[in-house]
Amino acid sequence: MNLTKTAKLALLSLSRNRLRSFLMMLGVTVGIASLTALASVGEATKQETMRRFKRMLGTFDMVIIEPGGASTRGMPSLATVEPVLKFADAAAIAAEIPAVRQVSEMQFALDLDVKYRDKTTSPSVIGVAANYTAVRGEELAAGSDITPEDVASLARVALIGADVVTDLFPDQNPIGQTLRIADVPFQIKGILESRGVGPGGASMDNTILIPVTTASKRLFNRDYLTAVIAQLEDPTRAASAIADISALLRERHGIIPPAEDDFRVSSPEAQVMQITEVSSTLSKVLVGVAVIATLIGGTVIMSLMLIAVSERRREIGIRRAVGANRRDIMVQFLIEAAVVALAGGIVGVLIGVGTTLVITMLSDLAPAIMWTAVGGSVLLSVAIGLVFGLQPAWRAANIDPIEALRS
Amino acid sequence: MIEMQGISRIYTREDGTPVPALRDVSFSIGRGEFVTVRGASGSGKSSLLNIIGCLDTPTAGIYRLDGEDVSGYDDEQRSTIRCRKIGFVFQSFNLLPRTTAVENVEIPALYVGGRVDRDRALDILGRVGLAERAGHFVSELSGGEQQRVAIARALMNDAPLLLADEPTGNLDSAAGESIMRLLADLHREGRTIVLVTHDDSVAAWAQRELLIRDGVIASDRQLPPLHGRAASVAAGA
Ligand SMILES: Nc1ncnc2c1ncn2[C@@H]1O[C@H](COP(=O)(O)OP(=O)(O)OP(=O)(O)O)[C@@H](O)[C@H]1O
Ligand SMILES: [Mg+2]
Repeated sequence: MNLTKTAKLALLSLSRNRLRSFLMMLGVTVGIASLTALASVGEATKQETMRRFKRMLGTFDMVIIEPGGASTRGMPSLATVEPVLKFADAAAIAAEIPAVRQVSEMQFALDLDVKYRDKTTSPSVIGVAANYTAVRGEELAAGSDITPEDVASLARVALIGADVVTDLFPDQNPIGQTLRIADVPFQIKGILESRGVGPGGASMDNTILIPVTTASKRLFNRDYLTAVIAQLEDPTRAASAIADISALLRERHGIIPPAEDDFRVSSPEAQVMQITEVSSTLSKVLVGVAVIATLIGGTVIMSLMLIAVSERRREIGIRRAVGANRRDIMVQFLIEAAVVALAGGIVGVLIGVGTTLVITMLSDLAPAIMWTAVGGSVLLSVAIGLVFGLQPAWRAANIDPIEALRS
Repeated sequence: MIEMQGISRIYTREDGTPVPALRDVSFSIGRGEFVTVRGASGSGKSSLLNIIGCLDTPTAGIYRLDGEDVSGYDDEQRSTIRCRKIGFVFQSFNLLPRTTAVENVEIPALYVGGRVDRDRALDILGRVGLAERAGHFVSELSGGEQQRVAIARALMNDAPLLLADEPTGNLDSAAGESIMRLLADLHREGRTIVLVTHDDSVAAWAQRELLIRDGVIASDRQLPPLHGRAASVAAGA
């Protein structure tokens, strides 16, 4: 007997026993629906986390060098870091490490009063190199960027973030205006494109960027950096770049292992991976639970099929008498199990996708339907039908037709 | 067509004791014969029919069907023979419930290659006088009509050998009569028929009678040729 005929037969038989078919589907539907929804919501969460990190870090083709050993915690600012990472270190990294395309020096300060006329706010103030926006992949919403000339001439110019615009210039074009950072006047030359919230949920737009030289000499009077961003020639070789940079800095700082480093070099991509790993471990556990639910759906199919087989002894006897062999009967029942499980799986996928859309909408996530999960669910349900249909089908195939036809 | 040589069938009870249902049975049935198998309850009639129909294998002996020794055939080979050569008609009709008449007739076609020919199934239903009932569920049909559906099913793969185990046992005499007339027509077309019955008037339709007693053939005789025809005319009048 060929497959099309058997499949038609299975559909016919399933449609003549609606209640039983429905119950058989139900278990798989519940399992597959939760599987699809959990995997997709997990994926949506992961993608959102990645997006937020990307927004905070810009591009991933870089490593970040910060002062302080491996045990240092928190956001490094001028007030908290050790004064060990110097402009000369940054220049040496750029000059001596071939894997580094360019470096970008940073001085980061918090809690400075920034005033415009009678308004005051306290954003983070960052001294940056002229290549900062390029290295970080940031854009300007208006005005012009800090130039190498600004950096060379210690110009008192500033780029401001969207929150600063809101706080200080609610109904005025800020470009060309002069604001005061700790009473030092700076002329606003550009506005940064808004970056939304960071991974912690805080706004990333409450910032002011000024030339790092101006920051160092005219504002903070500090000759050390809070971070150096080293953009890599080849982002896939971050590990070896990190090793080279570390060796160079140890040499420059006179550190001989096992003495602890007074700096750390990290790859943002590795950090992000670590964080998303945690949340994806959780979603893997949930997916595992859903797989178990689906397997329970499979055992429901098995028990209902076993009942069906004994109820359908006569049918089996009739088919055998008119020419069906054991394999025909086996295949018929296997296909029935696979078809009912597949139907349950498809309904489950639809419910799961619907649930995902609702959940992502309610929690402001971009809907990410995981098509691998959808495809996997469909395959899984067919496999479950075949595996759990095996025993009932085997039993059906081995019913003695003579006995089944008596009475 | 059928050649039995020293056929035995010994069942084994659950406690292990052997039950000999057929003992050293030998006979042959030619193509186109209409034979009735008779005997007391438990004498081995159904056991014999199951072996003839390749549903069962003999414990000992040789069974040739169309010259082919099928006694040692495995399940798949016997299934193929049943499919191609044998049509069963049972006392309890054995139709699939919740299924229409024409769907029942089509079942044997599922197990031969090629596509299921709905027109052929409808033709055959027409031949057994059920053209109008083709789309009815079997539960909506009378006993006689159900048995006609079963006969149509037996004809679906154009089986040359029809095996009927008490086909009129569940029918009143009028319905039984019309079933027998249908079988007699099929016989006249050249089909070989083996019919098990307890009923003298049903047996009278056959040309030859095998009498079984305790698993052995007690007698094998030709029946008077016109007897069946006369009964048919009388009943039809
Ligand atoms: N599967 C079986 N296991 C054990 N004994 C069996 C089995 N099938 C039949 N028998 C026995 O074999 C003998 C012949 O049975 P069979 O069914 O062939 O008789 P029968 O002539 O058809 O009887 P009836 O007219 O009542 O249908 C009986 O004694 C019966 O009890
Ligand atoms: Mg019997």
